[in-house]
Amino acid sequence: MSGSSSTPPSSPPAIEARELTKVFPLQWSKGYMVAVDKVSFTVNAGEVYGLIGPNGSGKSTTMKLVLGLMAPSLGTTKVFGLSTSDVRARSEIGFLPENPYFYKHLTGAETLRFYGKLCGLRGRSLQERIGELLELVDLEHARDRRLAGYSKGMLQRIGLAQALVQRPRLVVLDEPTAGVDPIGSREIRDLILRLKQEGISVFLCSHLLEQVQEVCDRVGIIFQGKLRREGPLDELTAIENQTEILLQEASPALISKIQALIQAEGADLLSLGRPRTTLERLFLDEVERGLADARSAGVHSAEPSPPPRP
Amino acid sequence: MSVPNHAPMPGRPVPPMFSPGRIWTLAAATFTQLVRMRTFYFLLFFAVLVFGMSNVNLLYTAEQQLSTIRGTSFGAMWLFAWLFAVTATAVVIPRDIEDRTLYTILSKPVPRVEYLLGKFFGVLLVITVALGAMLLLSGLVLEFRKAGLIAETRSYLEQSPDLTPADIQGQLDAISSEGFHPRLFTAAWIILLQAAVMAAATILVSTFASSSLFTIIVGIAFFLIGHGHRIAVDYWSEGGATNNWLAWAAKVVPDFHIFNVHEKIVAGSTASPLVMAEITAYAGVYCLVYLLLGWYMFSDKEF
Repeated sequence: MSGSSSTPPSSPPAIEARELTKVFPLQWSKGYMVAVDKVSFTVNAGEVYGLIGPNGSGKSTTMKLVLGLMAPSLGTTKVFGLSTSDVRARSEIGFLPENPYFYKHLTGAETLRFYGKLCGLRGRSLQERIGELLELVDLEHARDRRLAGYSKGMLQRIGLAQALVQRPRLVVLDEPTAGVDPIGSREIRDLILRLKQEGISVFLCSHLLEQVQEVCDRVGIIFQGKLRREGPLDELTAIENQTEILLQEASPALISKIQALIQAEGADLLSLGRPRTTLERLFLDEVERGLADARSAGVHSAEPSPPPRP
Repeated sequence: MSVPNHAPMPGRPVPPMFSPGRIWTLAAATFTQLVRMRTFYFLLFFAVLVFGMSNVNLLYTAEQQLSTIRGTSFGAMWLFAWLFAVTATAVVIPRDIEDRTLYTILSKPVPRVEYLLGKFFGVLLVITVALGAMLLLSGLVLEFRKAGLIAETRSYLEQSPDLTPADIQGQLDAISSEGFHPRLFTAAWIILLQAAVMAAATILVSTFASSSLFTIIVGIAFFLIGHGHRIAVDYWSEGGATNNWLAWAAKVVPDFHIFNVHEKIVAGSTASPLVMAEITAYAGVYCLVYLLLGWYMFSDKEF
C-alpha cells in the first residue's frame, strides 16, 4: 500500500517523532520508569500507520505525546510541522480514544455541536457537518437521544464522528474497534481506508494485528517502550526465502507436476492445501446470505445491511 | 457507510490562541451538564421554604413577618450559592478526568486556561440563574405577603377611632418599607461574589486533588478558615506580635467577613457604591489569583 496521491509531495509529515522519551517518576521512591525510550518514527501525509504492541508497551503514552496531552521528557513531536505543544497543531488532529466517554447528558447531535464549536465551527456549516457525520456513522435515528442511552458500539461511532468534525488532516485512533461487533468493526475499517483515499493520515494504535495488517501502510512494533521494528508492512511481513503460489481451479495432475518439479529443483515444499477464509469473513458472508434470503422471501429486517466488501 | 467529503478544508483558518467563543462553549456545556443533573431541584426546596415562611403566622408584627421572609430567603440563597460553588466545581473537573472526556476536549484546539475558565463560568452561570430565580421568587412572595398584610392592617386600623389617616398611612408605610427593595439586588450580588471566590478556589484545588471528595472537604475547610480568618489574625497579632509568614498566610485565604455586608443590606442598610466597588474588586482579585494559580498547576498536568 502506498500513500494517497492527493497529498502534495511537499506537505510536511503528518507526525514526526524524534528521540521521543517519557520518564515517569515512581511514587514513594526515588526511582523512575521509562515508558517510552528514544522512539523515532514518521507518519507521512496520507499514510495509515499502525503502532502495535502488547498492553503496557508504551503505545498509549506515545499517542498522548503525539496529541500533546503529555510533554516528552526528551525529544520532539511535530504534527504537520507544528510542535504538539502548540495548541494550533490540534486543529489538524481528530482523536478517538479507546472506549470513549462523552458527556452523557448531551444528545448525539449536541455532542457533535459541542466539539464542532470547540474547533471554531459555527452556524449553518456546523449544522450541515453534524448531519453529514451522523449519516456517516449511521446514527441519524439517534441524533436526539442522550448518550446515556447509547450502546458501546454507538458510543464508538459518535466518537469517530467527533474526531472527524473539523475535517482533520490526521486522525488518531486508539483501539477503534474495541467492544464493537464484527459488522461495526468492518465499517470502521472501511472508513479508515476511505479516509486514506481522501488523503487523510491515520495513526492507529491497536493490538488487533489482523486489523492493522488490513489497513496500514506502515507499522511500528513497540515493546517495553522501545520501537523494535518499523517500516512498510509489505517489507516487514515478507519472508525473504519463501515464495507463495496461489492457484485457482488447479487439477490434481497439475499439482503433482509442480510437486515433482519442486523436488527435482531441490527446493522444499513447506505446505500444500486450501487457503482458509477468516472467521470474520465467514460471519459476514453468512449474515449477508441470511439478509439476502430474507429479502427474497419478502421479510423486512430491522438490521442495517452489512457494508460492501472492499 | 458512505463517506461524504472529509478532505481537510483548504485554507483552514489558524485557530486563535485565546477564544471567548470556546470559553462560552465550555461554559454552556457545563451549565447544561449541571442543569441536567437536576441541580435546580433545589429551587423547589427554596420555594417551599419561602412560601412556608410567608404562611407561618407567628406572633410577629407585620414588619417582622416580612423581615423574617427576607432574612430566610437570603439565608437560603447564601447557603445555596457557596455550597453549590464548592460541590459543583469539585465535581466537574475530576469527572472529566475520570471519564476521560478531558482527552477529547484537550485534543481539540483548546488551551487549558480556556478549559478552566469555561468550567468556572459554567458554574457561575448556574449560580447566577439560580440566584436570579430565587430573588424573583422571594420578591414575588414578599410583595404578595406585603399586599395582604397592608390590607389586613388597614382594615384593622381603620376601625380605631383614635387614629388619624396620617397615623394609619405612617404605619402602612412602615410595613411597605419591609417589602422588596432594589437594594436587595446588591445583597444578591455580594452573595454571587462570595460564590465566585469559592468556585475559583475550588477550581485551584481540583487541579491537583485526586478526587471530588477531597476537593469538597478542602473547599469547605477553606470556607470555614475564611470565616475564622479575622479571629485568627486578631489572635496572632495580639500584643503587637508580627510574623511575616502569618501575614502572608492570612492573605492566601480571603476574609469572608467582608462579604457579610449582605446581611446588613437584607436587614435594611444600604451599601455605598464605594463599598460595593471595594467588595467587587476584593473578590475579583482573589478570583484572578486563584484562577492563575489553577492554570499554572493545570498547564503541566499529565493525564
